[in-house]
Amino acid sequence: MIFISHVSAEEQPCSSQALQTLYDPKIWVTNQSGMDLSEAALGNLRFTVATVWVKSKRRQAAAAFPQKLVDGRQTVHTKGGKYNAHAPTGLAFSRETFAKLTPGPFLQAHLQQPEPIRPNGRSLHAFRTPTIHTGSLSHSNGSAVVRLGDTAVVCGVRAEILLAADIPHPPSEDTSEDDLVERLGLLVPNVELSTGCSPDHLPGNPPSTSAQALSYRVLSLMHTSNLIRPGDLSIQYMEPASDDDLPDEGPKTVTKAFWTLYIDVLCIALDGNPFDAAWAAVISALKSTRLPRAWWDPDREMVLCSPLANETHGLRLDDIPVASTFDVFSTGSALKQRSEAESWVLADPDGFEEGVCTETATVVVRSEDGDAGGITRLEKSGGGAIGKAAMGRCVHMAQQRWREWQGVLHGG
Amino acid sequence: MPLDTSTYALAHLRLDGRRWSELRRIHGQISTQAAADGSAYFEQGNTKILCTVTGPQEPKRGVEVEMNVAAFSGMDRKKRARGDKRVQEMQYTIASAFQSTIFTHLYPHSTITLNLHVLSQDGSLLACALNAATLALIDAGMPMSDYVSACTVASAPSSDQTLDEQDPLLDLNGLEEQELPFLTVGTSGEEGKVLVLLMETRVQVARLEAMVSVGLDGCRQIRGILDGVVREHGRKVLESRVS
Repeated sequence: MIFISHVSAEEQPCSSQALQTLYDPKIWVTNQSGMDLSEAALGNLRFTVATVWVKSKRRQAAAAFPQKLVDGRQTVHTKGGKYNAHAPTGLAFSRETFAKLTPGPFLQAHLQQPEPIRPNGRSLHAFRTPTIHTGSLSHSNGSAVVRLGDTAVVCGVRAEILLAADIPHPPSEDTSEDDLVERLGLLVPNVELSTGCSPDHLPGNPPSTSAQALSYRVLSLMHTSNLIRPGDLSIQYMEPASDDDLPDEGPKTVTKAFWTLYIDVLCIALDGNPFDAAWAAVISALKSTRLPRAWWDPDREMVLCSPLANETHGLRLDDIPVASTFDVFSTGSALKQRSEAESWVLADPDGFEEGVCTETATVVVRSEDGDAGGITRLEKSGGGAIGKAAMGRCVHMAQQRWREWQGVLHGG
Repeated sequence: MPLDTSTYALAHLRLDGRRWSELRRIHGQISTQAAADGSAYFEQGNTKILCTVTGPQEPKRGVEVEMNVAAFSGMDRKKRARGDKRVQEMQYTIASAFQSTIFTHLYPHSTITLNLHVLSQDGSLLACALNAATLALIDAGMPMSDYVSACTVASAPSSDQTLDEQDPLLDLNGLEEQELPFLTVGTSGEEGKVLVLLMETRVQVARLEAMVSVGLDGCRQIRGILDGVVREHGRKVLESRVS
């Protein structure tokens, strides 16, 4: 298993030209100061905090802040609005500090550009390219490692045998095949986030609600999309002809046992969008799963498996659904008119953007007539900024993503 | 049986074709995760461990180790309960080994956290964890007195009384660990100062010295491999900077 050490182009800081226009103080300060920050907008961005506090905490500023800051404010105003780069006019913060102090306005400043760009350098609708490696774990029937930017996820699939005789309430004969997997619980996914993958998920804690919700979403998506056919998971036995059979009845095939797949997803590093990464890891691991050849031994009354590697069989996954998650950054608040609020849809959010956005939407798409088409799942929660039109655009982006993934899934 | 003594005596080859003093295929990589302060991925045969380092952070707890054993890592699928005692003991052993190696006086009132993810287990778990943690700490730039390298040694498989013909086995895989009495030894430095020695099985006292000396030599070999991994990474970084 090889990890590609990741320094992608998308994580490079923006060019100085972009930064210069980005931190135009006119966004923050009322027109009185008219500061020209052109000489200050170099590679390492400086933002004079004096101006922020002047705007927001006029009354408290003079009392609460050190004298140096107050003097700086006065200097800015009296010298005809020109920023004096020589006098220490106040605290100046780097870009990273600005992002930590006020993440919302930081993101907003990026998005309000004529050419909107996100802090990680991606455009609004750009997804991160996934890297997938399968089959690296020797003890698992199937495994996959997926890296989506800085989010890294490992998935292992283990198969265990469930005897039909051990099922407490066997399904009736008329249960359709589609429901069998769900009724018997043959797929057991578990997404583990409490691994120290991010400061919010420290190990040793019980799974948080978001982790439990992730596990459930993966499970329900597997069931509703009928990802695995029960025929692939059943171990059948052809009963020999006996005297009780009617002459025109052929030998009966009985399902003696089922394979239960335990799908464990371990999050190694989290930088936003765990669902897409976990789903990608699950389908890649299932694609690479090899189940041993198993048969029912009537004499010993147990299931035997062949240890030979060339007698294993894989699972049939023809129509793989692909998930795409979107976050919405909105300037709306309870104090503002809804019509005044601006919102932007960000595809494949990273950790910083997820912390700032409240609204999220997930679209799962699978193929229809050979091309992307069918929507398998639509989820949306957290706000009202995405309407019909925006949702249509999200679905379109998800279909585009489906086409990109076909190359990765079938080629890699 | 995995270690049928008759076949071993014939050709002195173990089940996987190694001789008594041969290590398994070892592969290490550092800087695998950009988001963590230091990260490393280490494989010793089929035992695969990923380690990340974060810190220093408040409050003061010294070196903290969290080991996460994946459910799909062992021979049977088993979800480890929280507070599994065996894992806790290993965490404590690793933490105390690094407590004495890292210059923690340079980071007063801070905690350095090591997160180990066990992706696949096939013997020598503690040894592999110590090696992976060393690489991750070096990637994080933690000042340490020397590399901590570890390996496992088993006493000779035959119960024959003549000891001078029997060589202890170096670097065990899962099957050998279940069958033979073994110990894990972790050393620091070229001269082999022993930091960790863990043995949970019974062995004849007369064989112990030979086992420990073979273990020290194995640790020296592993130290050379770890050093090679770090230097290779450094060379790549320098080349990418210069060009």
